[in-house]
Amino acid sequence: MDRRQFIRDVFLWSVGATLTIPRFNILPEVLAAEKPRSLLSLAKGEDYFALVARVLTPLGGMKNFVRPGDRVVVKPNIGWDRSPEQGATTHPLVVKALVVQALEAGASKVFVFDRTCNEQRRCYANSGVEKAIVEIGDSRAVIEHIDPRKFIPVDIAKGKSITKWEIYKDALDCDCYINVPVAKHHGLSRLTLGLKNSMGVLGGNRGSLHQNIGQNLADLATVIRPKLTVIDATRILLRSGPQGGDIKDVKKIDTLIASADPVAADAYATTLFELKPDAIASTVAAYSMGLGEMDLARIQVVTA
Amino acid sequence: MHLPGIRFSSSVWRRIGQSLFFALFLFLFIKTDYAGVDELTWAVNLLFRLDPLLAFSAILAGKTVVALMLPALVTLVLTLVFGRFFCGWICPLGSLIDGSRHLFPPERNNFDPGRRQLKYYLLIFLLSSTLFGLPLTGLIDPFSLLIRGFTFAVHPALDYATTSFFTWTYQHAPAWLNALTEPVYALLKHMLPFAAKVYGLSVFSLLLLLAVLGLSSLESRFFCRKICPLGALLAIFSRFSLFRLAGGTPECSKCRQCRNVCRMGAIDAERTVTSAECILCLDCMAHCPGSRIHYSLKRQAAGEQAIDLSRRAVITSLTAGVLVPLILPTRLLARFADPLLVRPPGALPETAFLGRCVRCGECMKVCIGNALQPAWLEAGLEGIFTPRLIGRIGYCEYNCTLCGQACPTGAIRRLTRDEKQVTVIGRAYFDKNRCLPYAKGVPCIVCEEHCPTPDKAIKFREAKALNSKGELVELRKPYVIEELCIGCGICENRCPLNGGAAVIVTAEGESRQRNSITKDGY
Repeated sequence: MDRRQFIRDVFLWSVGATLTIPRFNILPEVLAAEKPRSLLSLAKGEDYFALVARVLTPLGGMKNFVRPGDRVVVKPNIGWDRSPEQGATTHPLVVKALVVQALEAGASKVFVFDRTCNEQRRCYANSGVEKAIVEIGDSRAVIEHIDPRKFIPVDIAKGKSITKWEIYKDALDCDCYINVPVAKHHGLSRLTLGLKNSMGVLGGNRGSLHQNIGQNLADLATVIRPKLTVIDATRILLRSGPQGGDIKDVKKIDTLIASADPVAADAYATTLFELKPDAIASTVAAYSMGLGEMDLARIQVVTA
Repeated sequence: MHLPGIRFSSSVWRRIGQSLFFALFLFLFIKTDYAGVDELTWAVNLLFRLDPLLAFSAILAGKTVVALMLPALVTLVLTLVFGRFFCGWICPLGSLIDGSRHLFPPERNNFDPGRRQLKYYLLIFLLSSTLFGLPLTGLIDPFSLLIRGFTFAVHPALDYATTSFFTWTYQHAPAWLNALTEPVYALLKHMLPFAAKVYGLSVFSLLLLLAVLGLSSLESRFFCRKICPLGALLAIFSRFSLFRLAGGTPECSKCRQCRNVCRMGAIDAERTVTSAECILCLDCMAHCPGSRIHYSLKRQAAGEQAIDLSRRAVITSLTAGVLVPLILPTRLLARFADPLLVRPPGALPETAFLGRCVRCGECMKVCIGNALQPAWLEAGLEGIFTPRLIGRIGYCEYNCTLCGQACPTGAIRRLTRDEKQVTVIGRAYFDKNRCLPYAKGVPCIVCEEHCPTPDKAIKFREAKALNSKGELVELRKPYVIEELCIGCGICENRCPLNGGAAVIVTAEGESRQRNSITKDGY
């Protein structure tokens, strides 16, 4: 047996062996029951740039999520033409710090984008996020407006309410997707947190998703899967969300929440508004689909 | 005119001048857009403010001096000194007509002076009808014609063509080709609309522009010779200009080269240049075999044709301008204005607005939401091409004040952001027969989410409703608080229903006085 023959045999045998392995559909609920407690990190401080590094430490730091050479997406909420102090958009320093951390962890590219509700250029400019990314001065950090050509129809196989939607290509073909929502009030879904922030990578008529918002967002969470969720609660908008506009509705609490479990992050953030996790329909729907933990007793909160 | 080793002929200098001004026009046109800051960086309305026809028109309509339009005086003074250089060197429509002359080669010889008085009669009619309440000047002003054609049709069409092509390469071409094409696309995108735009009357505006260019196949610069009222106004001044072209002498014998090349038909059989018609293209200078034609400080030549207007025609156009506006109060519009005609924030009261607006389309070009659209007959014949907001096409961005900045005449006032945010352009109402929570028992309130006023004008009530399955569901039913609504139209725009929206903005309650709604009341 020469070397070539050996390699060929190994290849064929392993293909054959793989095909014979039976496949089981394991119920997500069963998996969830066996999982260890979800880890969630909490940090408070006024220096938002430094706060990001602190909140990531208990989770093993950015290097636990971004490996050298990774293509990374940092997805803030910059959906409205509002200034940072109005609390309707993710704080630019938080976004900037995450991008810098990802670059330091060796990311080959970091993309920042959001499909905005108000006019894109105005949102990018007035949220301060565009400037913050440009200031990093690293060609690997890219903030680009949404390119309509990049929306591709995606099957949502596990969807209970929606089974197909157009999703932004960059959000799908990346190695690490980091979700950076801002925590705020919302008329229909009561709060908008991590799962709702995923709407910013969707094409199509997003308004129609509101007709069954909780389940729709949970369905989307089966295909848009952040490795890391960092919820910006440095300022939280208590009323007139998701846009706000009146500083009186904004409360400064200097808090960041980070978790690898998107549902746990949302569930915990709900408590900042003095609500229970089950007040948010998308959290409940995502939990029941086994996408993460919402039982606060089963979430291990570490204060950094 | 001496460069080392090169000597350009006079008409080459003119061509360079025309190209530079056309490039400036294109630059300003492209820059009529949001550029990352609330204030427009470039005075894109500059061209319009140099236009004395529109200045006269706005001043006559408003019966006040419009300070914004004072730069037009410069044009008039320069015309008194140098002649009608504006038409030959600066006017971008003139340059476009010249540039496209090979597409529409003239059929006839160039020297027919017939009917060139038409433009003077048109000018007289337009100015007198404007004074008496029917402002139509903007419809035919060369800048307005050009910019409307570009804004509504040419620019969006170029964008569509470019984007289609590069979408195809993006989706189907191999990666190495995309490495070449994508940077080109990115570069082109700087010159095209940021997002795809659509406009009402786009085909009509393009046809008007093409008609103006196509008329040149009858005679070169047909529009400039016989129709353009701005040309007519400048001609009246250039008749007395200090500098002018002259030259032809009896020594020329049978040579009439100058007359043959004149694109304006401004040179008669005796080789006398009619300075009112001469646009100083300088072709005659360049083509004169004896170099006898000069541009210099001269008095009017004895044989030069005057502007030979017939007294009867002048009186007719003047009277027509006075009489035609009398028909206006007989229209339904005089008693009941179209409630769906929503004007941009800062628009003057309707009559003053129509008088000031020069139909240039700049506000619609700069409108960041593509919300402002040219009206057709909703505001009457005199309202064609004036801006109106169509919520289903676009909405008025809460923080944006660009239309007032771009308006060259102040028909839309320049508002600060704070002023704009409390300027009511209309109010929304719900069509409960279509609105999902009311009609079908389905949760929605996208309108409430998008409502931009800090204290939302759209609020909701918690309610129970039966859905189509007969289930009793808890949901939120939206309603409008009139005192808070400014009519921006984002609710109408974002309403997720297919087809018409279930929340609709009408002009009711707008800040400017409406002087024509149910005049007599009850």
